[in-house]
Amino acid sequence: MLLLYVLLAEWLFFYVAGTTTNRRGVIVGFGTLDRQFDILRHSCEIGLLALALTPVIITAGIDLSIGSLLGLCAILFGKLWHDGGLPIPAAAGLTLVLGAVAGGLNATLITALRLPPLIVTLGTYSLFRGLAEAITHGSITYTDFPESFLFVGQERLLGLPTQAWIFFAVALAVGLLVHRTTFGRAFRTIGLAPEGARYAGLPVGRRLALVYVLAGLIAAIAAIIYTARLGQAKADAGTGYELFAITAVVLGGTSIFGGTGSIPGTLLGVAAIAVLKNGLACLPVVMAMNAAEEMSGLLTGALLLLALTASVLPKILSNFRASRHAPAT
Amino acid sequence: MKRYFRELSVLGALAAVLFGMAIFAPAFFSPQPLLSLLTREAPTLIVACGMACVIITRQIDISVGSMFSVCSVCAGLLAARGWPLLLVLPASILLGAGLGAINGLLIAGLRLPSIVVTLATMVTLRQGLNLVRQGEFVNLPDSLQWFGLSQRSGQLVLVGASLAFLVALALAMRHLAAGRFVYAVGTDAEAARLAGIRPQLVTFLVFVFIGALTGLAAMMNLAQSPQVQPLSGAGLELKVIAAVVVGGVAISGGRGNLWGAFAGLLLLACVSPALTHLHIEAYWEKAIQGAIILLAVVADGLRSRKAKR
Amino acid sequence: MPPAPLLALHQLVKNYGGVRALRGVDFNLHAGEVHALLGENGAGKSTLIKVVTGAHQPNGGTITLAGQCVADLTPATARALGIACIYQQPALFPDLTVAENLALRLESTSAASRIDWAARRARAKELLARIGAEISPEAEVSSLSMPEQQLVEIACALGSGARIVIMDEPTASLTQKEQHLLFAVVRDLRKNGVGVIYISHRLEEIFALADRVTVLRDGQSVGTHAVSDIDEAGLIRLMVGREVAQIYPAAESAPGHAVALSLRDVGCHVSGVRNVSFEVRAGEIFGLGGLVGAGRTELARILFGLTPADSGEITLHGQPLTLRSPQDAVAHGIAYVPEDRRRHGVVLALPIAHNMTMAIHRRFFPTTWLRFGAERTLALDFIRDLAVKCSGPDAPGSSLSGGNQQKVSLARWLATKPKLLILDEPTQGVDVGAKSEIHKIVRRLAKEGLAVILISSDLPEVIGMSDRIGVMGGGTLRAILPGGSDPHDVMAAALGTTGKSAA
Repeated sequence: MLLLYVLLAEWLFFYVAGTTTNRRGVIVGFGTLDRQFDILRHSCEIGLLALALTPVIITAGIDLSIGSLLGLCAILFGKLWHDGGLPIPAAAGLTLVLGAVAGGLNATLITALRLPPLIVTLGTYSLFRGLAEAITHGSITYTDFPESFLFVGQERLLGLPTQAWIFFAVALAVGLLVHRTTFGRAFRTIGLAPEGARYAGLPVGRRLALVYVLAGLIAAIAAIIYTARLGQAKADAGTGYELFAITAVVLGGTSIFGGTGSIPGTLLGVAAIAVLKNGLACLPVVMAMNAAEEMSGLLTGALLLLALTASVLPKILSNFRASRHAPAT
Repeated sequence: MKRYFRELSVLGALAAVLFGMAIFAPAFFSPQPLLSLLTREAPTLIVACGMACVIITRQIDISVGSMFSVCSVCAGLLAARGWPLLLVLPASILLGAGLGAINGLLIAGLRLPSIVVTLATMVTLRQGLNLVRQGEFVNLPDSLQWFGLSQRSGQLVLVGASLAFLVALALAMRHLAAGRFVYAVGTDAEAARLAGIRPQLVTFLVFVFIGALTGLAAMMNLAQSPQVQPLSGAGLELKVIAAVVVGGVAISGGRGNLWGAFAGLLLLACVSPALTHLHIEAYWEKAIQGAIILLAVVADGLRSRKAKR
Repeated sequence: MPPAPLLALHQLVKNYGGVRALRGVDFNLHAGEVHALLGENGAGKSTLIKVVTGAHQPNGGTITLAGQCVADLTPATARALGIACIYQQPALFPDLTVAENLALRLESTSAASRIDWAARRARAKELLARIGAEISPEAEVSSLSMPEQQLVEIACALGSGARIVIMDEPTASLTQKEQHLLFAVVRDLRKNGVGVIYISHRLEEIFALADRVTVLRDGQSVGTHAVSDIDEAGLIRLMVGREVAQIYPAAESAPGHAVALSLRDVGCHVSGVRNVSFEVRAGEIFGLGGLVGAGRTELARILFGLTPADSGEITLHGQPLTLRSPQDAVAHGIAYVPEDRRRHGVVLALPIAHNMTMAIHRRFFPTTWLRFGAERTLALDFIRDLAVKCSGPDAPGSSLSGGNQQKVSLARWLATKPKLLILDEPTQGVDVGAKSEIHKIVRRLAKEGLAVILISSDLPEVIGMSDRIGVMGGGTLRAILPGGSDPHDVMAAALGTTGKSAA
């Protein structure tokens, strides 16, 4: 709930500080409807990654590789279409499969070999990005996608940016999975008590595997949307997105230690970051410095640290008080 | 022998790569390129030493790349203002230690997971630097080049210093009680506490330590080029983590040593020249790095599973 | 006038929440004495150790060390005062070498002090030689066997110059030869004026080694005797003490004849269970008695697929089973209410209702879609049926008392409509009222035709509740006794003494 107020305050601030009138008397900047749609358009990819990460973090895991996987899937998609001669729908479908397979690599190493998710996904973080660079020789960019495909990323459908519909559909699906099915129950239980889940007869390995495969699949969806929005597929697509996604998830109230978290919370977290990112770009000061990207990265990092600190502070304080009042334990 | 099996197997792999190079690309072994290679890797080695300590305490630090960039640029600016080397060097080390202390406070003080904390500081520092510097290069005074020595002796000094540091730290980790504290905390923080060690303090100091080493490494890098590139540290964290993990330092803490990390670093350092000599494009480097990390942890995972049986 | 005892405990009281673990224990230990401490599981031995080593603070009573009253004992001061404890599970650093482990404990180091490896090794070698252990100081602890680790612990206690050494079942995992070595060490300690508190379930060890023995029962000391003044039967009588019968609900019907579960020569290499054979009939409560480490929980883990058996046959209602995972066990109608309620039983942060449906996800939510209404109804039914005291189905497990948590754990498994119910210490840490309620529930379930295996270290409980009692020891089944047997016989079978024949 607090996050909702923060989001509103943030939005109002940028509305006041970021909206100006140009020489011809037309309102420009943050306050325009176009800009609001733009924010939505730009937040879809990071939003999708945040949706992918929420179940992962609920199981007390982490996936650092999704940003890199976005890049790899964008390249694969471009290559399948451009060099492989596949029609766009077939290329997209195959990309989704490949994304799920890449997620399956993480899943296998984490569940079958019981390796820590941190180091596994740090390895695939490097591997996926490296494969994208290797495939493109670090320079090839796939462009000239057909208009019908660019419609997904650059036009509107029923008043909203087209990709927003995909984003909402995925959010709904993941939300239902996490909040309304036995799978979500299992994720929470595993995050809170992995051994307890095993003793209750839950298939811990299979549920964990699902979470990472799903993350790969959603990263592939994000890759296709990214390509459609920019009209090009490059190896550096999605660099650093994992930070934005993790921040959105943590801001949204999902505990980094696992067990609790919600999809509506994550959506609010995504909105908070998207508004920040785009709002900054509308501030005259920042525009003068031409540093919107850096500012938003800087503030997101700081925001994450702040949110983490705030999330553990009550516990630390109460421990501190307890230790002062009852020294003999 | 059995105790050092893991380290020896890395040495074996290194020997195999070198042997392969000797057959297919003997030019690799001419002294000057070899010295240059070692010089290039000297700063990485220093950071890897710190990373080994961090991972032995069962933590991780992925902000070293950004700390490296910040220290490089700041030290470069000071040097450009005419500060003498003897002042710039401690300044850079102190700055690094200060940045490391921020990580340490958040991780040891608030008990937050190190991966998320250092991910956040990594991006904050990098973007902060970009914001302030806008990608501008810093031109360094000539006096800083090779510490004012000739190139060859400068290279020898750098390589010698880094190797001396490695030996000193490896001995300290083994022969000073402080080194054993690090292992004890990584093995079992609770048992360490019962043995009278303060795990949170050790964790904090380890992060300060790797920060200080990163500051030192940044200086060693400055001496090698006439300019500071603000992105000089990008990707350093992966390179260093890969070296340490490949060298047999267990990500689950408490196990491994600096010699292994050194062997791992050499093995990875040979990848790039090996690729060049074997006419494989350099774009593969990052993918191969990732694959090597995965291979190393998979091997460790399989071994520990077998041991449990 | 004898000198003041090394250690004297007077009217020691320790409560855990509502549970009174120690209710006024008197105990003293002289220099140069081996004083054995004996008692059933849960009699208060481990609590006593924890208080003496400073790990827990007593709620009442005094601790006197060499005539000096000590208040506020912490682990550090206990160590400084010369109290050393050797636990059953050695608390060593597995990735460090033996010499390093010894050094970490024994050397008071500042961070900058230099380690003298040669001296360290020499010292480790000397200490290990003193206890006759053939262990290299350079060996990594993780490469040592459990008894070897224990020897390292003993070397550690020796090296610290302890005046009081506590040994908690030190021989539990030792071989014959290692036992003799250990006995020699203990005698050596005694000769040097060290006081040894020796805890063991093996009566013959006590007679071979100890000078005096104190028996604890229900958190009180019920007698201290010189070993020469008492025999095995007398000790067992002291341990068992009270009358058993009345407080347990009587069986209202005899179990049927249909065999539900049958085990033949079941064994598992990893967990040390071997050659276990018995049958449980439908409607029967089959008690599993024995001491900690006898292999009862290990057997339950085999039946629940947590550590699959590698030999023997398990059949349920005539159908041979392969149990490789808990999912297999659940699918075949086997339910296991685990011993460690807080780690394995109830997920404390989750609501009661979630906990109750956790094992029936597939059956209760066939479409994987959660049915909150139905789940609530089911939870309310169980709450009423088992009389769970809670504020409602949404209350988190952490808000419940131990007994009510246990009922939730039980409800989770009853919801699976099992054919075989395994209860592992179902009333441990549960208050008296909830305990008898749980007993009634178990009795009722048996009456309804469920086959029940009841693992319990509470001797009266296992005797009073069971139709038949299997007594385990050393990973195998030692005897099968009828329900209501003489507790002395059960204890004798569990201890493996030959003094009395099984009835």
